[in-house]
Amino acid sequence: MGPGRTILNQLAQQVVQANISTEILYSFIIIVCSLMIYYGTKEIYELSSYKGLKFFRQAFLFFALAYFFRSFIKLILFYFNVHGIFSISPKLLNPLISQITLTLFMYFSAMAIFYLLYSVMYKKRNYENKIYLFHVISVVLAVFSVVSRNPFSYLGLNILLLVFVLVIVYISYKNSKKKTKGHNLYAIYVLLLFFWILNIIDILIPTFFQNFQLIVYIASSGIFFLMLYKVLKKAGSN
Amino acid sequence: MAKRDRLEIIKDILSIIQSNQNSIKITPLIRKSNLSSSNFYEYHSELLKKNFIKETAHSNNKFISLTDKGLKFLEKYRTIINFIDEFEL
Repeated sequence: MGPGRTILNQLAQQVVQANISTEILYSFIIIVCSLMIYYGTKEIYELSSYKGLKFFRQAFLFFALAYFFRSFIKLILFYFNVHGIFSISPKLLNPLISQITLTLFMYFSAMAIFYLLYSVMYKKRNYENKIYLFHVISVVLAVFSVVSRNPFSYLGLNILLLVFVLVIVYISYKNSKKKTKGHNLYAIYVLLLFFWILNIIDILIPTFFQNFQLIVYIASSGIFFLMLYKVLKKAGSN
Repeated sequence: MAKRDRLEIIKDILSIIQSNQNSIKITPLIRKSNLSSSNFYEYHSELLKKNFIKETAHSNNKFISLTDKGLKFLEKYRTIINFIDEFEL
């Protein structure tokens, strides 16, 4: 093997290591932000037992769990140097491990969005006893996407959810013309879901973003930081 | 008068107890809280269960007073309401 090839190999290794480091740092930021939101609102929830607060907190707990499994999938992809979770040879990794991880990621992320949506909507439509329906939908969709090896149905659901959120935001905006508050928040929710979908695309089609991946990561982290700032400021938490 | 929500009613009940040197008999508390008896007792048992209030007996009379958790609720009430408003929960 010539010196040129050795340098290229070293360079390739450095690129992979840099990507892994970025991935770990990104996941760490999002997981910590989500958990800080969850624990930062613990006291006001325990005092008030307010249902909207409960769903809001659950959303961020599920975001943290979803990002944990997302980073696990990313590490598997890096480790085996493949571009899709279904491309890993069964000889290298027990397919059950990757399939269960993907199912969990899909379940937790769908639930995070459902909870966030529900925290805003539950006062208008009280389906509290039917929250299990959201769990069932998320499980069925996650299992179906993985078993059928068709993760795009999952992406379809998330895009549908985004459209739904946009409709809710539009209706709320129309109904609260006199209010000045809340509109920023809806913008954050839309951005949160938008970047969440980009994150899902990043998992399902790892080559989709290429050079834009870092921008997506920075923007997503920015949204979570903004949310964390607003939550900690308003919750009066230390 | 607009209908009070659950948190506001809890705050009102706790505030009445606090403004009575943190000790009040149950009958004046029901009267001052502007709730029907049945409604009041629902909140009463919830507040006892959540350890916001405690009952003490003094010469055949039952007195209600706030616990530390009840005081904490009053202290944090504005924060809780602002948070719910801000995030449209």
